[in-house]
Amino acid sequence: MLTYDVVVVGAGNAGMSAACKLAMSGQKTLLIEQHNLPGGCATSFRRGRFEFETSLHELCDYGPASDPGDVRLLLKDYGINVKFLEVPDTFRVISTARSGREIDAAMPVGQKAFIDKMEEYVPGSRASMEDFFTLGDECNAATIYINQSNGSPDSEYMKKHFPNFLRTAAHTTNKVLDALKMPRDAQDILNTYWSYLGVDTERLTFMHYAAMVHKYVTRSAYIPELTSHGLSLAFIDRFQQLGGEVWFNTKVEKVLFENGAVSGVSTTQGDVAAKHVILNCNPHTAYATMLPKEVIPEREIRLANARTHSARAFVLYLGLNKTAEQLGLTDYSIFMPPTMDTAKAYQALSSLETNDYIISLCYNIVNPKASPEGTCMLSFTTFYSDEVWKDISPENYVNTKNQIASRMIDKFERKTGVKLRDYIEEAEVATPWTFARYINTPQGTMYGYETNEWDSMMARLMSLNTDYPIPGLKFAGAHGPRGDGYSSTYICGELIARLTLKDMAEEAK
Amino acid sequence: MALNIKVGPIGALDMLKFKNQVKKRNQIIDSTTPAPLPEEYGTNARARALHPKAQTLLVKEVRQHQPDVKSYLLGREDGEPTAYFRAGQYLSVRLSIGGSEITRPYSISSAPQLALQGNYWITVKRTSPGFASDYILENWQEGTAVNVSGPEGEFYYEPLRDAKTVIGLAGGSGITPFLSMAYAIRDAAEDFNLTVLYGSRTKEDILFADEFAAIEKECPKVHLVNVLSDEEKEGMEHGFLTASLIQKYAGEEPFSVFACGPSAMYHFLDTELPKLNLEQKYIRRELLGAEKQPWTLPGYPTDKKDQIFQLTVKYVGNEKVIEASANEPVLVAIERAGIAAPSHCRSGECGYCHSRLVSGEVYIPEVSDGRRAADKEYGYIHPCASYPISDLVIELPGVY
Repeated sequence: MLTYDVVVVGAGNAGMSAACKLAMSGQKTLLIEQHNLPGGCATSFRRGRFEFETSLHELCDYGPASDPGDVRLLLKDYGINVKFLEVPDTFRVISTARSGREIDAAMPVGQKAFIDKMEEYVPGSRASMEDFFTLGDECNAATIYINQSNGSPDSEYMKKHFPNFLRTAAHTTNKVLDALKMPRDAQDILNTYWSYLGVDTERLTFMHYAAMVHKYVTRSAYIPELTSHGLSLAFIDRFQQLGGEVWFNTKVEKVLFENGAVSGVSTTQGDVAAKHVILNCNPHTAYATMLPKEVIPEREIRLANARTHSARAFVLYLGLNKTAEQLGLTDYSIFMPPTMDTAKAYQALSSLETNDYIISLCYNIVNPKASPEGTCMLSFTTFYSDEVWKDISPENYVNTKNQIASRMIDKFERKTGVKLRDYIEEAEVATPWTFARYINTPQGTMYGYETNEWDSMMARLMSLNTDYPIPGLKFAGAHGPRGDGYSSTYICGELIARLTLKDMAEEAK
Repeated sequence: MALNIKVGPIGALDMLKFKNQVKKRNQIIDSTTPAPLPEEYGTNARARALHPKAQTLLVKEVRQHQPDVKSYLLGREDGEPTAYFRAGQYLSVRLSIGGSEITRPYSISSAPQLALQGNYWITVKRTSPGFASDYILENWQEGTAVNVSGPEGEFYYEPLRDAKTVIGLAGGSGITPFLSMAYAIRDAAEDFNLTVLYGSRTKEDILFADEFAAIEKECPKVHLVNVLSDEEKEGMEHGFLTASLIQKYAGEEPFSVFACGPSAMYHFLDTELPKLNLEQKYIRRELLGAEKQPWTLPGYPTDKKDQIFQLTVKYVGNEKVIEASANEPVLVAIERAGIAAPSHCRSGECGYCHSRLVSGEVYIPEVSDGRRAADKEYGYIHPCASYPISDLVIELPGVY
């Protein structure tokens, strides 16, 4: 039987990252992917003369060379060299604030510019915004420290260096923003990014949200020039250079055990032996279908049952036969929630009828060469907070997709005044069915489990040594300690590989 | 640090809240049921039913149209629905012929609704040379088990994109996707106006005349116009699928052109369609298939023609060294060696055969280069539309 030190199941972001780290550390590593392409969500597809980015909106933890973010450092550490482009602004938001005020705010990059602009939109917000970023600095430093501590931070060190972080981290975002005495309208604008984490700011912990906003504003967002497919191929390329082996079109059906410990995997191409397996798939899937029941501790099933599946995406991709300039498109990302009351907006995501959320992206604003000359590309994204797509029949599927897509185009045209209808050369839609097809997560979710108050990023990081206790088996992905997002999953993969290496070193003793 | 945040009534409690996160989490976990987790979800079941990796079907009926043309009713033995599809999509049929493992795409000619009863019709016409079509026409009979993909392809009406009126240009067995579209319109599964200009040599060569006549009677949105090149017949056009003929039937409203036929028809349309001054978005073409004479295409290094190269194929822990001719796509050499390499469209478009070119050089015709930008950067090719022009090492994305 073919034997490896480690088998990584799933070439999603976390799987590729873990595989690279292991191969770099000299482990004989096999990466197995059920699809014919790497990346999971991190891929692209062609329609006519257009190549569409599948899922990446913007990397939040890359940063400029002068102030590198964790992902830039991670790629450098792995020896992966990919060209990134800086996103010029943070976001534009068009919606109604909790106060009833109609907001159309375009927010720049850079703390000072962001604070100035906020003061312009919401006079009197300056002091609280400055406090927010000071606190954000501390949250980021604390997160990096906790990540490096492998889940066992020293509490005295924390108290000394991150006192404000400790006071605020476990509270919800809105609660802390109120404590900062931030005017509600400013809070609403600042909270625009909440959907990237899939949980409203009444339930999302402050440190998780603040860390993300802080990075976007301070270090800018970035996208890879050749789409996330390019980034995924770069990971695979490097992994293979490091001696790693990849099998595509291969499905891992079972994780094999001998005397209660992992002994390998059973795949559609035969069995493979390995004492360590990292699953870049959802724990629900693994526990229900891939592991013998007797090896799964009861707490793991309770944990899985306690969690909420997060964010089922719907994306409309448009290839337009006019340039962004000709159409009057000037913003990279525009967030158009039905309301800026995030809890109400989250509620509205629960049904096909009430879901009126859109994030629009125009790739050409950042990358003029994203599509052929004379054209541009737009995508519209929304999420569902419940498994509403399961009730649609195959015969009604296309019509349902197109009705929602049509509604998105109408709303966009109404809110921005930009006309699109007559210029659509290519149109494609991805639904939760599409994501279920390609990444096979439960219900086609993209974000793993909701990082709500009790199951927050921090609570997960501090439970690293109690969650997933099966010897030889670890999980990495959006469901993991760092939550969802490209940056989080790359970093999660590195973290889980590090913990695996630690286990291996201990076994060797 | 000047900042001193207080949240809640007593600031001192906040530190405790941080510490208590894990305790609180554990309490929630411990108070949750250990009931078994679901093995299946509605969304995933729907996705698998719509996009199965493979479908095993039986030939339920064979219909001979002409000496070299037959239609096959492929269906599930248990009568459960086959994967639903959009009219115009195709099935990739897998065949094992004399040690070769090959695939061929065939458009579905039946109504999408028929899939709900577990059936598809496809039509096979003998080609020349006709490795797969010869085999099917001679061997498939009632009861033959057939392995096909899920419905594939993007040759279908898309209301977000296309004009409300579609002028279909069909040649030979290229009529089949249009028959499916006509059924879909008749059944109100899809909604657009379809006028098909169907080019045949003689009246004898026309396929599905009765089916179209019946649909036209029932459904005013569908029209079929026969265009004969080699004879004149009452009620039919004479000549070729020219720009002026298209204009004649299109009328004044905006229209989309959908074309499906043999490569000779596409070559002819290359000079005709520009005369219509249509925006690119209004022109759709079905798969071209692999070019049989790559040396006639721009950029092909003609000195390589007829040369045989050594091809090393790597896949899931295996390695095989075989021969490959510069005259054929890399995929064909691999299939001939009995390696079941994945493929669907065989036209460079769908990317299902996406493979890593470890070393060596290939010729890729520009017209069928459906790769993503990063594929070019990192040395990935679509073997179905790449021709070897040196010794090669290639790594397949697994096998069937």
